[in-house]
Amino acid sequence: MVRDMTVNGGRRGGLVLALVAAVIGVVLIVLAVTSQEPAPPQLDAPVGRVDATPTPTPSAEADRVRPAEEVPLGPSRPVSISIPAIGVSSELLALGKAPDGSLAVPQPGPNLDKAAWFENSPTPGQPGPAVIEGHVATEQSGPSVFFELAELRPGDKVTVERKDGSTVVFHVTALREFAKDRFPTELVYGGNVSEPTLRLITCSSFDPSIGKHTGNLVVFAELTNVRGA
Amino acid sequence: MGKSMRMLAPLAAASLAVVMSPTAAFADHANGSYQTTLDPLNGSSGSGMASITVEGDQATIDLSWSGLPETFMDAPYPHVQHIHIGAEGECPPASADKNGDGIVDTVEGAPSYGEIGTTLSVSGDTSAAAGTNIKIAPGGSSVDYHRTITLDEKTLDSLAGGTGVIVVHGLDPATLSKEAAEAKSNLVPELPLAATSPALCGALSSMPAGGVETGSGSTSGVENLGLFGVGGGLLAMAGIGLVGHRRRANAEAS
Repeated sequence: MVRDMTVNGGRRGGLVLALVAAVIGVVLIVLAVTSQEPAPPQLDAPVGRVDATPTPTPSAEADRVRPAEEVPLGPSRPVSISIPAIGVSSELLALGKAPDGSLAVPQPGPNLDKAAWFENSPTPGQPGPAVIEGHVATEQSGPSVFFELAELRPGDKVTVERKDGSTVVFHVTALREFAKDRFPTELVYGGNVSEPTLRLITCSSFDPSIGKHTGNLVVFAELTNVRGA
Repeated sequence: MGKSMRMLAPLAAASLAVVMSPTAAFADHANGSYQTTLDPLNGSSGSGMASITVEGDQATIDLSWSGLPETFMDAPYPHVQHIHIGAEGECPPASADKNGDGIVDTVEGAPSYGEIGTTLSVSGDTSAAAGTNIKIAPGGSSVDYHRTITLDEKTLDSLAGGTGVIVVHGLDPATLSKEAAEAKSNLVPELPLAATSPALCGALSSMPAGGVETGSGSTSGVENLGLFGVGGGLLAMAGIGLVGHRRRANAEAS
Protein backbone atom coordinates (compact mmCIF):
# COMPACT_ATOMS: atom_id res chain seq x y z
CA MET A 1 0.00 0.00 0.00
CA VAL A 2 2.72 2.40 1.04
CA ARG A 3 4.73 1.18 -1.94
CA ASP A 4 1.72 1.74 -4.18
CA MET A 5 1.33 5.31 -2.96
CA THR A 6 4.99 6.01 -3.72
CA VAL A 7 4.66 4.54 -7.17
CA ASN A 8 1.45 6.48 -7.79
CA GLY A 9 3.01 9.71 -6.42
CA GLY A 10 6.07 9.20 -8.65
CA ARG A 11 3.83 8.60 -11.58
CA ARG A 12 1.90 11.82 -10.90
CA GLY A 13 5.20 13.72 -10.43
CA GLY A 14 6.38 12.49 -13.82
CA LEU A 15 3.15 13.65 -15.42
CA VAL A 16 3.50 17.10 -13.87
CA LEU A 17 7.14 17.33 -15.02
CA ALA A 18 6.16 16.34 -18.55
CA LEU A 19 3.38 18.93 -18.65
CA VAL A 20 5.71 21.65 -17.31
CA ALA A 21 8.30 20.72 -19.94
CA ALA A 22 5.61 20.85 -22.61
CA VAL A 23 4.42 24.30 -21.50
CA ILE A 24 7.98 25.72 -21.35
CA GLY A 25 8.72 24.13 -24.72
CA VAL A 26 5.67 25.76 -26.31
CA VAL A 27 6.54 29.15 -24.73
CA LEU A 28 10.12 28.98 -26.06
CA ILE A 29 8.96 28.12 -29.58
CA VAL A 30 6.39 30.92 -29.54
CA LEU A 31 9.18 33.29 -28.42
CA ALA A 32 11.44 32.03 -31.19
CA VAL A 33 8.71 32.50 -33.81
CA THR A 34 7.69 35.98 -32.66
CA SER A 35 11.28 37.25 -32.54
CA GLN A 36 11.88 35.81 -36.01
CA GLU A 37 12.64 38.60 -38.54
CA PRO A 38 10.49 38.50 -41.64
CA ALA A 39 12.25 38.28 -45.00
CA PRO A 40 12.46 41.66 -46.73
CA PRO A 41 9.63 42.44 -49.16
CA GLN A 42 10.47 41.37 -52.71
CA LEU A 43 9.62 42.99 -56.01
CA ASP A 44 7.56 40.44 -57.95
CA ALA A 45 7.42 42.34 -61.24
CA PRO A 46 8.82 45.59 -62.68
CA VAL A 47 6.86 48.64 -61.54
CA GLY A 48 6.49 51.85 -63.56
CA ARG A 49 8.31 53.04 -66.68
CA VAL A 50 12.01 53.80 -67.00
CA ASP A 51 12.59 56.33 -69.77
CA ALA A 52 15.92 57.48 -68.49
CA THR A 53 18.19 56.13 -71.16
CA PRO A 54 18.84 57.64 -74.56
CA THR A 55 19.78 54.77 -76.88
CA PRO A 56 23.43 55.26 -77.90
CA THR A 57 23.36 55.26 -81.70
CA PRO A 58 26.70 55.78 -83.42
CA SER A 59 25.15 57.44 -86.48
CA ALA A 60 25.70 61.13 -87.20
CA GLU A 61 21.94 61.66 -87.69
CA ALA A 62 21.39 60.87 -84.03
CA ASP A 63 23.60 63.76 -82.95
CA ARG A 64 21.53 66.47 -81.41
CA VAL A 65 22.28 69.74 -79.78
CA ARG A 66 19.46 71.73 -78.31
CA PRO A 67 19.06 74.04 -75.34
CA ALA A 68 18.42 72.33 -71.99
CA GLU A 69 15.12 73.44 -70.56
CA GLU A 70 15.44 74.78 -67.02
CA VAL A 71 18.04 76.35 -64.80
CA PRO A 72 18.92 73.58 -62.36
CA LEU A 73 20.23 73.71 -58.82
CA GLY A 74 23.96 73.95 -58.26
CA PRO A 75 25.96 71.44 -56.24
CA SER A 76 25.37 71.10 -52.49
CA ARG A 77 26.16 68.00 -50.45
CA PRO A 78 23.06 66.05 -49.31
CA VAL A 79 22.86 65.62 -45.51
CA SER A 80 19.74 63.52 -44.88
CA ILE A 81 16.99 61.53 -46.57
CA SER A 82 13.46 60.65 -45.55
CA ILE A 83 10.96 58.30 -47.20
CA PRO A 84 7.70 58.55 -45.21
CA ALA A 85 5.95 55.65 -47.01
CA ILE A 86 8.37 53.13 -45.51
CA GLY A 87 9.35 55.04 -42.37
CA VAL A 88 12.92 55.80 -43.48
CA SER A 89 14.79 58.74 -41.99
CA SER A 90 18.56 58.70 -42.21
CA GLU A 91 21.62 60.89 -42.13
CA LEU A 92 23.51 60.57 -45.45
CA LEU A 93 27.12 59.44 -45.72
CA ALA A 94 29.19 60.34 -48.79
CA LEU A 95 30.95 57.32 -50.32
CA GLY A 96 33.07 56.79 -53.44
CA LYS A 97 34.27 53.64 -55.14
CA ALA A 98 35.83 50.60 -53.45
CA PRO A 99 39.34 49.50 -54.53
CA ASP A 100 37.77 46.88 -56.84
CA GLY A 101 35.91 49.62 -58.73
CA SER A 102 32.47 48.79 -57.35
CA LEU A 103 30.38 51.27 -55.39
CA ALA A 104 31.66 51.44 -51.78
CA VAL A 105 29.01 50.56 -49.16
CA PRO A 106 28.54 51.51 -45.46
CA GLN A 107 30.85 49.35 -43.33
CA PRO A 108 30.27 47.62 -39.96
CA GLY A 109 30.30 50.20 -37.16
CA PRO A 110 28.12 53.17 -36.24
CA ASN A 111 27.41 54.02 -39.91
CA LEU A 112 26.38 50.55 -41.10
CA ASP A 113 22.65 51.26 -41.12
CA LYS A 114 22.83 54.77 -42.62
CA ALA A 115 22.07 55.54 -46.26
CA ALA A 116 24.93 56.83 -48.42
CA TRP A 117 25.12 59.22 -51.37
CA PHE A 118 27.60 58.27 -54.15
CA GLU A 119 29.96 61.26 -54.22
CA ASN A 120 30.75 61.06 -57.98
CA SER A 121 27.06 61.31 -58.82
CA PRO A 122 25.22 64.66 -58.96
CA THR A 123 24.12 66.10 -55.64
CA PRO A 124 20.31 65.60 -55.43
CA GLY A 125 18.64 68.41 -57.39
CA GLN A 126 21.55 68.87 -59.82
CA PRO A 127 20.97 67.61 -63.39
CA GLY A 128 21.43 63.86 -63.85
CA PRO A 129 20.86 60.83 -61.62
CA ALA A 130 21.87 61.29 -57.97
CA VAL A 131 22.63 57.86 -56.48
CA ILE A 132 21.75 56.92 -52.88
CA GLU A 133 22.33 53.39 -51.55
CA GLY A 134 21.55 51.54 -48.32
CA HIS A 135 21.76 47.99 -47.00
CA VAL A 136 18.63 45.82 -47.02
CA ALA A 137 19.97 43.69 -44.15
CA THR A 138 23.34 42.99 -42.57
CA GLU A 139 24.93 40.14 -40.67
CA GLN A 140 25.57 42.50 -37.75
CA SER A 141 22.19 44.15 -37.25
CA GLY A 142 19.55 42.32 -39.31
CA PRO A 143 17.10 44.59 -41.14
CA SER A 144 18.81 47.77 -42.35
CA VAL A 145 17.80 51.22 -43.64
CA PHE A 146 16.43 50.10 -47.04
CA PHE A 147 14.77 46.87 -45.74
CA GLU A 148 11.35 47.84 -47.14
CA LEU A 149 12.48 49.63 -50.32
CA ALA A 150 10.56 47.15 -52.52
CA GLU A 151 7.30 48.39 -50.95
CA LEU A 152 7.65 51.80 -52.64
CA ARG A 153 5.27 52.57 -55.49
CA PRO A 154 5.04 55.33 -58.14
CA GLY A 155 4.03 58.61 -56.52
CA ASP A 156 5.68 57.90 -53.14
CA LYS A 157 7.78 60.82 -51.89
CA VAL A 158 11.52 60.88 -51.22
CA THR A 159 12.85 64.02 -49.53
CA VAL A 160 16.53 65.02 -49.35
CA GLU A 161 17.92 67.88 -47.25
CA ARG A 162 21.00 69.62 -48.69
CA LYS A 163 23.79 71.43 -46.93
CA ASP A 164 22.76 74.76 -48.51
CA GLY A 165 19.49 74.55 -46.57
CA SER A 166 17.34 73.58 -49.53
CA THR A 167 15.02 70.58 -49.55
CA VAL A 168 14.52 68.63 -52.76
CA VAL A 169 11.47 66.39 -53.17
CA PHE A 170 11.42 63.45 -55.61
CA HIS A 171 8.50 61.24 -56.63
CA VAL A 172 9.03 57.54 -57.32
CA THR A 173 8.45 56.66 -60.97
CA ALA A 174 9.62 53.04 -61.25
CA LEU A 175 11.17 50.01 -59.51
CA ARG A 176 13.40 47.43 -61.18
CA GLU A 177 15.34 44.40 -60.03
CA PHE A 178 18.61 43.53 -61.78
CA ALA A 179 20.96 40.56 -61.43
CA LYS A 180 24.25 41.88 -60.04
CA ASP A 181 26.22 40.13 -62.77
CA ARG A 182 24.14 41.93 -65.43
CA PHE A 183 23.88 45.32 -63.71
CA PRO A 184 22.91 48.08 -66.21
CA THR A 185 25.65 50.57 -65.24
CA GLU A 186 24.86 53.17 -67.91
CA LEU A 187 21.12 53.15 -67.13
CA VAL A 188 21.58 53.54 -63.38
CA TYR A 189 24.51 56.00 -63.16
CA GLY A 190 24.03 57.76 -66.50
CA GLY A 191 21.07 57.84 -68.85
CA ASN A 192 19.33 61.19 -68.96
CA VAL A 193 21.93 63.76 -67.84
CA SER A 194 19.72 66.83 -68.25
CA GLU A 195 16.90 66.07 -65.78
CA PRO A 196 17.45 66.01 -62.01
CA THR A 197 16.57 62.44 -60.96
CA LEU A 198 17.29 60.05 -58.10
CA ARG A 199 18.19 56.35 -57.88
CA LEU A 200 17.81 54.40 -54.63
CA ILE A 201 19.77 51.14 -54.59
CA THR A 202 19.69 48.15 -52.24
CA CYS A 203 20.20 44.39 -52.43
CA SER A 204 17.61 41.78 -53.34
CA SER A 205 17.24 38.07 -54.08
CA PHE A 206 19.05 36.47 -51.14
CA ASP A 207 20.36 33.03 -52.09
CA PRO A 208 20.67 30.97 -48.88
CA SER A 209 22.80 28.34 -50.61
CA ILE A 210 25.64 30.84 -51.08
CA GLY A 211 24.66 33.25 -48.28
CA LYS A 212 24.62 36.21 -50.68
CA HIS A 213 22.23 38.58 -52.42
CA THR A 214 22.38 37.99 -56.17
CA GLY A 215 20.35 41.03 -57.23
CA ASN A 216 19.97 44.76 -56.80
CA LEU A 217 16.70 46.61 -56.42
CA VAL A 218 16.74 50.08 -58.01
CA VAL A 219 14.07 52.71 -57.36
CA PHE A 220 13.84 55.49 -59.97
CA ALA A 221 12.48 58.90 -58.93
CA GLU A 222 12.26 62.36 -60.49
CA LEU A 223 12.51 65.83 -58.98
CA THR A 224 9.12 67.43 -58.38
CA ASN A 225 9.77 70.21 -55.90
CA VAL A 226 12.53 72.41 -54.45
CA ARG A 227 12.04 74.29 -51.19
CA GLY A 228 14.26 76.97 -49.65
CA ALA A 229 17.88 77.55 -50.69
CA MET B 1 57.34 30.46 -106.01
CA GLY B 2 60.14 32.91 -105.43
CA LYS B 3 58.18 35.64 -107.20
CA SER B 4 54.98 35.14 -105.19
CA MET B 5 56.97 35.13 -101.94
CA ARG B 6 58.48 38.50 -102.90
CA MET B 7 55.01 39.86 -103.55
CA LEU B 8 53.66 38.58 -100.25
CA ALA B 9 56.51 39.88 -98.13
CA PRO B 10 55.35 43.52 -97.96
CA LEU B 11 51.84 42.37 -97.13
CA ALA B 12 53.14 40.24 -94.28
CA ALA B 13 55.24 43.12 -92.98
CA ALA B 14 52.24 45.45 -93.15
CA SER B 15 49.98 43.09 -91.23
CA LEU B 16 52.73 42.59 -88.64
CA ALA B 17 52.95 46.35 -88.25
CA VAL B 18 49.18 46.56 -87.68
CA VAL B 19 49.35 43.85 -85.03
CA MET B 20 52.25 45.52 -83.27
CA SER B 21 51.04 49.11 -83.39
CA PRO B 22 49.89 50.39 -79.99
CA THR B 23 46.59 51.59 -81.45
CA ALA B 24 45.62 48.13 -82.54
CA ALA B 25 46.90 46.48 -79.38
CA PHE B 26 45.27 48.89 -76.90
CA ALA B 27 42.23 50.18 -78.74
CA ASP B 28 39.88 48.88 -76.05
CA HIS B 29 41.77 50.03 -72.95
CA ALA B 30 39.37 52.93 -72.30
CA ASN B 31 36.19 50.86 -72.86
CA GLY B 32 33.47 51.61 -70.35
CA SER B 33 31.31 54.42 -69.05
CA TYR B 34 32.48 57.64 -67.41
CA GLN B 35 30.61 60.35 -65.57
CA THR B 36 31.02 63.74 -63.98
CA THR B 37 28.93 66.56 -62.70
CA LEU B 38 29.75 69.96 -64.20
CA ASP B 39 30.18 72.30 -61.27
CA PRO B 40 30.64 76.08 -61.42
CA LEU B 41 34.09 77.69 -61.45
CA ASN B 42 34.94 81.36 -61.06
CA GLY B 43 31.60 82.31 -59.53
CA SER B 44 29.55 81.16 -62.52
CA SER B 45 26.00 80.11 -61.76
CA GLY B 46 25.74 77.10 -64.07
CA SER B 47 25.33 73.39 -63.34
CA GLY B 48 25.35 70.25 -65.46
CA MET B 49 26.37 66.64 -66.00
CA ALA B 50 28.22 64.60 -68.61
CA SER B 51 28.43 60.89 -69.34
CA ILE B 52 30.72 59.27 -71.89
CA THR B 53 30.49 55.69 -73.11
CA VAL B 54 33.61 54.46 -74.90
CA GLU B 55 33.88 51.46 -77.21
CA GLY B 56 37.22 51.16 -78.96
CA ASP B 57 37.95 54.72 -80.10
CA GLN B 58 34.26 55.67 -80.44
CA ALA B 59 32.80 57.79 -77.66
CA THR B 60 29.12 58.59 -77.19
CA ILE B 61 28.95 61.84 -75.29
CA ASP B 62 25.88 63.04 -73.39
CA LEU B 63 26.36 66.42 -71.83
CA SER B 64 23.91 68.92 -70.43
CA TRP B 65 24.39 72.23 -68.67
CA SER B 66 22.53 75.43 -68.10
CA GLY B 67 22.78 78.70 -66.24
CA LEU B 68 25.70 80.19 -68.21
CA PRO B 69 25.60 83.68 -69.82
CA GLU B 70 23.23 83.77 -72.78
CA THR B 71 24.44 86.48 -75.12
CA PHE B 72 27.77 87.93 -76.15
CA MET B 73 27.90 91.03 -78.37
CA ASP B 74 24.20 90.57 -79.29
CA ALA B 75 24.71 86.95 -80.40
CA PRO B 76 24.40 83.61 -78.61
CA TYR B 77 27.35 83.37 -76.21
CA PRO B 78 29.81 80.76 -77.60
CA HIS B 79 30.80 78.32 -74.85
CA VAL B 80 33.78 76.30 -76.06
CA GLN B 81 33.98 72.94 -74.27
CA HIS B 82 36.71 70.33 -74.15
CA ILE B 83 38.04 67.17 -72.59
CA HIS B 84 41.29 68.33 -71.00
CA ILE B 85 43.94 65.65 -70.48
CA GLY B 86 47.32 64.66 -69.13
CA ALA B 87 47.59 66.46 -65.77
CA GLU B 88 46.19 65.89 -62.27
CA GLY B 89 42.68 65.07 -63.48
CA GLU B 90 41.20 67.69 -61.16
CA CYS B 91 39.36 70.99 -61.29
CA PRO B 92 41.56 73.90 -60.13
CA PRO B 93 41.17 75.39 -56.63
CA ALA B 94 40.65 79.16 -56.26
CA SER B 95 44.31 79.38 -55.17
CA ALA B 96 45.34 78.65 -58.78
CA ASP B 97 44.62 82.34 -59.53
CA LYS B 98 48.30 83.33 -59.78
CA ASN B 99 47.87 86.92 -61.00
CA GLY B 100 45.21 87.73 -58.41
CA ASP B 101 42.61 89.10 -60.85
CA GLY B 102 39.89 87.07 -59.13
CA ILE B 103 39.52 84.34 -61.72
CA VAL B 104 41.36 81.13 -62.53
CA ASP B 105 41.88 81.54 -66.27
CA THR B 106 42.41 78.63 -68.66
CA VAL B 107 46.22 78.85 -68.45
CA GLU B 108 46.20 79.06 -64.64
CA GLY B 109 43.95 76.00 -64.49
CA ALA B 110 46.18 73.89 -66.73
CA PRO B 111 48.36 72.37 -63.94
CA SER B 112 45.15 70.81 -62.55
CA TYR B 113 43.29 69.73 -65.69
CA GLY B 114 45.98 69.77 -68.39
CA GLU B 115 45.88 70.61 -72.09
CA ILE B 116 42.97 70.22 -74.50
CA GLY B 117 42.68 66.61 -75.71
CA THR B 118 39.34 66.74 -77.51
CA THR B 119 37.06 69.62 -78.46
CA LEU B 120 33.38 68.92 -77.82
CA SER B 121 32.22 70.92 -80.82
CA VAL B 122 28.66 70.76 -82.13
CA SER B 123 29.86 69.70 -85.60
CA GLY B 124 33.01 68.96 -87.56
CA ASP B 125 36.50 69.07 -86.05
CA THR B 126 36.85 67.59 -82.55
CA SER B 127 40.64 67.84 -82.33
CA ALA B 128 42.56 70.11 -79.96
CA ALA B 129 43.11 72.42 -82.95
CA ALA B 130 39.40 73.32 -82.87
CA GLY B 131 39.70 74.31 -79.20
CA THR B 132 38.99 78.01 -79.63
CA ASN B 133 36.86 77.85 -82.78
CA ILE B 134 33.78 79.66 -81.52
CA LYS B 135 31.93 78.98 -84.80
CA ILE B 136 31.43 75.30 -83.86
CA ALA B 137 31.00 75.83 -80.10
CA PRO B 138 27.58 75.43 -78.48
CA GLY B 139 25.93 78.82 -77.96
CA GLY B 140 23.50 80.34 -75.47
CA SER B 141 22.79 79.86 -71.78
CA SER B 142 22.20 76.11 -71.88
CA VAL B 143 22.85 73.04 -73.96
CA ASP B 144 21.70 69.45 -74.22
CA TYR B 145 24.48 67.77 -76.22
CA HIS B 146 24.56 64.27 -77.69
CA ARG B 147 27.31 63.35 -80.13
CA THR B 148 29.30 60.24 -81.08
CA ILE B 149 32.91 61.09 -81.97
CA THR B 150 36.29 59.43 -82.45
CA LEU B 151 38.76 59.98 -79.61
CA ASP B 152 42.51 60.13 -80.20
CA GLU B 153 44.97 57.91 -78.38
CA LYS B 154 45.99 60.56 -75.83
CA THR B 155 42.40 61.30 -74.80
CA LEU B 156 41.66 57.56 -74.50
CA ASP B 157 44.77 57.17 -72.31
CA SER B 158 43.65 59.99 -70.02
CA LEU B 159 40.11 58.62 -69.68
CA ALA B 160 41.45 55.17 -68.81
CA GLY B 161 43.95 56.72 -66.39
CA GLY B 162 41.35 58.86 -64.64
CA THR B 163 42.83 62.20 -65.73
CA GLY B 164 40.17 63.38 -68.19
CA VAL B 165 38.45 66.65 -67.19
CA ILE B 166 35.56 68.35 -68.97
CA VAL B 167 35.81 72.14 -69.00
CA VAL B 168 33.13 74.49 -70.37
CA HIS B 169 34.32 78.06 -70.96
CA GLY B 170 32.70 81.47 -71.06
CA LEU B 171 32.02 83.73 -68.07
CA ASP B 172 29.66 86.67 -67.71
CA PRO B 173 31.93 89.77 -67.74
CA ALA B 174 29.43 91.55 -65.44
CA THR B 175 30.31 89.17 -62.59
CA LEU B 176 34.07 89.76 -62.86
CA SER B 177 36.49 92.27 -61.38
CA LYS B 178 37.03 95.38 -63.56
CA GLU B 179 40.56 94.18 -64.31
CA ALA B 180 39.42 90.74 -65.43
CA ALA B 181 36.38 92.03 -67.30
CA GLU B 182 38.54 94.35 -69.42
CA ALA B 183 41.43 91.94 -69.98
CA LYS B 184 42.06 90.24 -73.31
CA SER B 185 42.26 86.45 -73.54
CA ASN B 186 45.73 84.99 -73.05
CA LEU B 187 44.75 82.31 -75.58
CA VAL B 188 42.93 84.25 -78.31
CA PRO B 189 43.96 87.93 -78.08
CA GLU B 190 40.97 89.13 -80.11
CA LEU B 191 38.55 87.69 -77.51
CA PRO B 192 37.99 89.02 -73.99
CA LEU B 193 39.49 86.99 -71.12
CA ALA B 194 35.93 86.17 -69.91
CA ALA B 195 35.10 84.29 -73.12
CA THR B 196 37.92 81.78 -72.79
CA SER B 197 37.94 81.38 -68.99
CA PRO B 198 36.49 78.22 -67.42
CA ALA B 199 32.89 78.45 -66.20
CA LEU B 200 32.08 74.76 -65.49
CA CYS B 201 34.43 71.93 -64.67
CA GLY B 202 34.12 68.23 -63.92
CA ALA B 203 36.73 65.48 -63.42
CA LEU B 204 35.66 62.32 -65.29
CA SER B 205 35.73 58.99 -63.45
CA SER B 206 34.60 55.54 -64.51
CA MET B 207 31.14 54.59 -63.34
CA PRO B 208 31.12 51.99 -60.53
CA ALA B 209 31.66 48.43 -61.81
CA GLY B 210 28.95 45.77 -61.52
CA GLY B 211 26.28 45.48 -58.85
CA VAL B 212 26.20 47.00 -55.37
CA GLU B 213 26.97 44.99 -52.20
CA THR B 214 24.17 46.46 -50.10
CA GLY B 215 23.43 43.37 -48.06
CA SER B 216 25.94 41.40 -46.01
CA GLY B 217 23.36 39.25 -44.26
CA SER B 218 19.74 38.30 -44.60
CA THR B 219 16.65 38.00 -42.46
CA SER B 220 15.13 35.39 -44.75
CA GLY B 221 16.61 32.41 -42.83
CA VAL B 222 15.91 31.16 -39.28
CA GLU B 223 17.43 33.46 -36.64
CA ASN B 224 16.62 31.80 -33.30
CA LEU B 225 17.84 28.26 -33.86
CA GLY B 226 18.80 27.99 -30.14
CA LEU B 227 15.33 28.84 -28.86
CA PHE B 228 13.70 26.55 -31.40
CA GLY B 229 16.11 23.76 -30.34
CA VAL B 230 15.57 24.04 -26.58
CA GLY B 231 11.80 24.46 -26.95
CA GLY B 232 11.57 21.50 -29.31
CA GLY B 233 13.74 19.40 -26.97
CA LEU B 234 11.49 20.12 -24.00
CA LEU B 235 8.40 19.23 -26.02
CA ALA B 236 9.98 15.94 -27.05
CA MET B 237 10.90 15.13 -23.45
CA ALA B 238 7.36 15.95 -22.34
CA GLY B 239 6.01 13.70 -25.07
CA ILE B 240 8.23 10.79 -23.98
CA GLY B 241 7.20 11.36 -20.34
CA LEU B 242 3.50 11.36 -21.22
CA VAL B 243 3.76 8.21 -23.32
CA GLY B 244 5.64 6.49 -20.48
CA HIS B 245 2.99 7.60 -18.01
CA ARG B 246 0.16 6.22 -20.10
CA ARG B 247 1.96 2.88 -20.63
CA ARG B 248 2.47 2.42 -16.91
CA ALA B 249 -1.15 3.43 -16.24
CA ASN B 250 -2.39 0.95 -18.88
CA ALA B 251 -0.17 -1.84 -17.42
CA GLU B 252 -1.66 -1.21 -13.96
CA ALA B 253 -5.22 -1.21 -15.22
CA SER B 254 -4.90 -4.60 -16.98
